[in-house]
Amino acid sequence: MNLLAVSINHHTAPVELREALYLGSEDVKNLVSEAKGKLFSEGLVICTCNRTEFYGIPVDKNTSYFDVQNFVIDKKSSHKISPEHFQSFMSREAVKHLFKVISGIDSLLIGDNQIFKQVKDSFIVAEEMSFTGFLMKRVFDSATIVGKRAITETEISEGAVTVSYAAVQLIEKIFSTLNKKSALVIGTGETGEIAAKHLRDRGIGRLALTNRSFDKAEKLAADLNTAVFPFANFKEHLHKFDIIISATSAPDLILTKDDIKKAMKKRNGASMVLMDIAIPRDIDPETKNIDYVFYHDIDSLNIIVEQNLSKRKSEIPKVEKIIEEELDNFFNWYNSLQAAPTIKNLRDYFETIRAEEVDKNKNKFSDDDREKLEIVTKRIINKILHHPTIELRKSAESGENTPESATRLGILRELFGIDNHKPDEEKK
Amino acid sequence: MISFIDFLNILLPFLYVITFGIYSYDFMKGRKELANYKRLFLFITLLFHAIYLITRTLYFGHPPITNVFEIFAVLAFAIAFSYFVLELVTDIRGTGPFIIIISILFQVISSIEIEHIVAVKDVLKSNLLGIHVFSALVGYSGITISAVYGFLYLMLYKEIKLNQFGLIFNRMPNLEILEKLSFSSAIIGFALLTIAIIIGIIWLPQAFPDFSYADPKLIGTSIVWILYGIGITAKLLGKWRGKKVVILSIVGFVIAILSTMLTNFLSLSFHSFY
Repeated sequence: MNLLAVSINHHTAPVELREALYLGSEDVKNLVSEAKGKLFSEGLVICTCNRTEFYGIPVDKNTSYFDVQNFVIDKKSSHKISPEHFQSFMSREAVKHLFKVISGIDSLLIGDNQIFKQVKDSFIVAEEMSFTGFLMKRVFDSATIVGKRAITETEISEGAVTVSYAAVQLIEKIFSTLNKKSALVIGTGETGEIAAKHLRDRGIGRLALTNRSFDKAEKLAADLNTAVFPFANFKEHLHKFDIIISATSAPDLILTKDDIKKAMKKRNGASMVLMDIAIPRDIDPETKNIDYVFYHDIDSLNIIVEQNLSKRKSEIPKVEKIIEEELDNFFNWYNSLQAAPTIKNLRDYFETIRAEEVDKNKNKFSDDDREKLEIVTKRIINKILHHPTIELRKSAESGENTPESATRLGILRELFGIDNHKPDEEKK
Repeated sequence: MISFIDFLNILLPFLYVITFGIYSYDFMKGRKELANYKRLFLFITLLFHAIYLITRTLYFGHPPITNVFEIFAVLAFAIAFSYFVLELVTDIRGTGPFIIIISILFQVISSIEIEHIVAVKDVLKSNLLGIHVFSALVGYSGITISAVYGFLYLMLYKEIKLNQFGLIFNRMPNLEILEKLSFSSAIIGFALLTIAIIIGIIWLPQAFPDFSYADPKLIGTSIVWILYGIGITAKLLGKWRGKKVVILSIVGFVIAILSTMLTNFLSLSFHSFY
């Protein structure tokens, strides 16, 4: 198979270069229109913040991955891209690379399940641009199977691997339903904003914000449709919250043990989660000694992240096994597109139908006629298959498995349902 | 039939141990594919246990509640069955090993010590006794399960507080659910014990000439009942929560076990039937 893949990713290029190569959806569409017909007859362009990749069936024998590399280098000539920044794959290795990408084991954050959707979206773009042919569709279908199997059959995407998700995971080990809980986010910088959005996404019942700069808090509160407290008196409201996330850049402690003790007294001892994700810390770590106060800082959240990452790493061999299985399935199908097996399968398929029908109806004929029936039906089948067989043999004799002949064979197999219809099994 | 009963009696501890093994392996490894097998195996074990109890009742002509080892066999079944129902209803599957091990303890003691008793005292053939023992057994299952969930609550509470995110953290449901499971089981246990005690107080003085209000089992059960009553009321009034309630539940369970052992193994009471 002559599938080519060229990739610039976090293994090969520094972040600045990956950023420079990042393509928006319009850029991708422009690139696809240029590559179509010039480099590839059909293909796929995947672009995420950690990778830019090109997959495709070359337009002719002479197109190599150097041409694809040069094509990219020409497009982004203002950046210092060199051939060392590329990974290139051919045939089975190219399909395998796509399978590794979609399953998340090639991601910077192992098991990142966003990549599955990103690959899917890339394929939709390729389809819209009429860049996907018979082969790429099948490659994509197989890749989708790999992605789904990796998620359902392994734990490659299980557990939180970012600090903010780890905070949510931890909160969910304390409270059962977030929609009945209330949360206060102190500090509306980038970290605070992410935390507030995570809580909103997880369906927190009531969310409030506070920040030294009231305007900034108000702006985010308007975006998230939440309440906002002035920083000067937010401590008076502490007891109203089950979860407090603090992420300010204040140099000193904002909440002391006394503040929390007072709040807990007003709460009648109901559990309170304190997530201090600020550096330096905002909440007195001594608060962890108060009953029903669950205090956690960046270090404790990192313990969860590290545990989950090592768990995901231990799942990689299972995903690799799935990849090998699906690679075998894919290439079994692809090899069946060779002319000779298809001729045989097609003949077997017709012969099975003929034999079954003769068998069903033979009692309607006398012994003498049965022999004639065999001869006549065989002759009909031979005549029907004569022309297709000659055409397919031409393909076989040319010794080439061009995408066109593969497409023709694939359509033939699909039309007669040969891959789903196993004559041998039916006979049993 | 007697050899079939004997066979089941020997088989049951093995079935419970295998079920416990599958549940424990799944707890350690967290393998998704075992999730349904372990439930199936628990079901098979319960099925054999039910057949054992029924055949025993039919063969000996009385329900297996006439001595402490028969009662242990019923208690093992009641605890495992309650857990099975709880697992089906809540779909919380990580807590199995901690409850099944208690069934193993009761069943192993029962299987080793149980005897073939055909003739039982007339007093033990009463219907009221049936209700008394049945409600007491389900009540004890309730407080056992409540204590186990209480214990798991304390373990998870400690892990989260100390940032030790181990197996308990990864496999257990959250603290609120554990507290709720412990509390709901305690309420069921308390309600059934109340029924058992009421029937006992009405019927026992008539049935047993040597009945005494100073009976250790009666005192033990009353203490357990009062403790649970205090805990449940305090929780419902919003005075107590979390650790306090579950510790009370565990203490209640320990007292219940101690009073049973004192009563039956030291033969101090009319409540000892062997």
